[in-house]
Amino acid sequence: MSAIEERDLQRQERFEDDLIMHLERDQFVAETSRPVPRAPLSTRASAWLWALRVFVVLVSAMVIYTFVAGLH
Amino acid sequence: MSTPELVASPLLGGPLATEEDAARSHDRARVHHARSQRRHWRLLWLLVGPGILAMLGENDGPSMIAYASDGAQYGLGFFVPFIPILFAMAYVVQEMCMRVGAVTHRGYGELVLQRYGRAWGLFGAGDLTLTNLVTLIAEFVAIRVGLAYFQLGAGVAVALGMALVVFTLSGGRYWRWERIVLGLALFNLLFVAAAILVKPDVGTLASSFTFSRFPGGSFNTLLLLLASTIGATVTPWMIFFQQSASADKGMTPTDVRHGRYDTALGAALAAVCGIGALIAGAALLAHGDSGIQGFAGAGFPQALTRVAGGAAGTVFALGLIEAGAVAILTISASTAYAAGECVGATHSFNSSPRGAALFYTANIGVALLAALVILIPGAPLLSIALNANVLATVLLPVSLVLMVMLANDRGLMGRWANRRSTNVVGIAVIAFVGMCGAAYGIDSFLQAVHVVGS
Repeated sequence: MSAIEERDLQRQERFEDDLIMHLERDQFVAETSRPVPRAPLSTRASAWLWALRVFVVLVSAMVIYTFVAGLH
Repeated sequence: MSTPELVASPLLGGPLATEEDAARSHDRARVHHARSQRRHWRLLWLLVGPGILAMLGENDGPSMIAYASDGAQYGLGFFVPFIPILFAMAYVVQEMCMRVGAVTHRGYGELVLQRYGRAWGLFGAGDLTLTNLVTLIAEFVAIRVGLAYFQLGAGVAVALGMALVVFTLSGGRYWRWERIVLGLALFNLLFVAAAILVKPDVGTLASSFTFSRFPGGSFNTLLLLLASTIGATVTPWMIFFQQSASADKGMTPTDVRHGRYDTALGAALAAVCGIGALIAGAALLAHGDSGIQGFAGAGFPQALTRVAGGAAGTVFALGLIEAGAVAILTISASTAYAAGECVGATHSFNSSPRGAALFYTANIGVALLAALVILIPGAPLLSIALNANVLATVLLPVSLVLMVMLANDRGLMGRWANRRSTNVVGIAVIAFVGMCGAAYGIDSFLQAVHVVGS
């Protein structure tokens, strides 16, 4: 192994040691890129969320209508 | 989920490191050093950021105009104690965001999308994009209002805003971006200076904390002010931003205590600056000036100049420029985080523009789109600015519910999941925000279709 290659390897190892010391395992990009498992939503929770969603969309439509009407 | 200070090694078959990991590791090294040396102030300095930026970023152009309008129309009586209560509510929500980000190392958008399904993730991102675009337009309007005081036009506002976005993005480091924006955000204190310059009556100010006077005026105007004031303290972009920024900063469960300090400090500063804008606006009350007229020109600063002198007007104008500029940076960042998280692309200030093309493109693109709107002749800038916070308030409940669900998810959060008391307060916040937003939306709509009178 040449001196340059050895120096590169040492630099790489120092870089990796730095990571070893200061990042948690699940902080690495390779780990955070993995999706978390899906959580099952109960029927009741889903129904509440959808009801809230529809309500919010309706009120938003009212606000937008009022905004547009106010322009004229 | 996380084991504090757990090690991982590429050499031992662990995850492979990227440039983003290396940059984050560098920042974490300083945190570990400060913690091991028991340098408490140094540790606090290193860990503050996302909380202060979320809170002071929300003290944006429309918000400061909303506070000043509250003062100009109703005086100090109701809103001086109301603003700290709203920021206490904001603290409850933002603390959850910080905690979920620090424990899971993931942003809000990606967690909702992966945990509860694509529909909810995309709904959240859609709401965010809509409210962010409207709010960003309002931020450029605020900068334009501030610059108009100095006889500078919309083109300068666009150039200044875009130059700041591009400048802060250069460097490819979260730490650099955060420190530049933090430095700018401290100029939010200009509103405190404006409050001092209008020489408020100390007795009136002190008595306003008794919460004794409820504002008069029409029901709809009061609802508008309530909705826009709530929208000035808790918004969808803050939820996305603080969770993603906490993860990007590299915070871990061991940093949660300092994350709470950061969020509380941000809430306190934002409340003080918000009250400053309210006091400055209240100076116009006795002079029969509603203040918000002429917003597309130099409305408030010029009105303050007439009432309290040139220094007050100048400081208020500079404050509006700062408020708009900081919000452009934080809100476009939240859009970029959300875009990257929902598409599954790299989303970090610690990545280079080449490695995170979507993140950087979304960051600059959404700001540019908003900037172009204020250059359109005859665009309804006043209406957009006044409705930006209201729209954010109306769309907020779904984001808040999903945030509380994430913070309660023991599969993700383990022992860092919400306590019962946090849930009680969180649900009360959701109910309050939802009712105020809905009441304004429905009442305004009924007036617009002439079902009820104004």
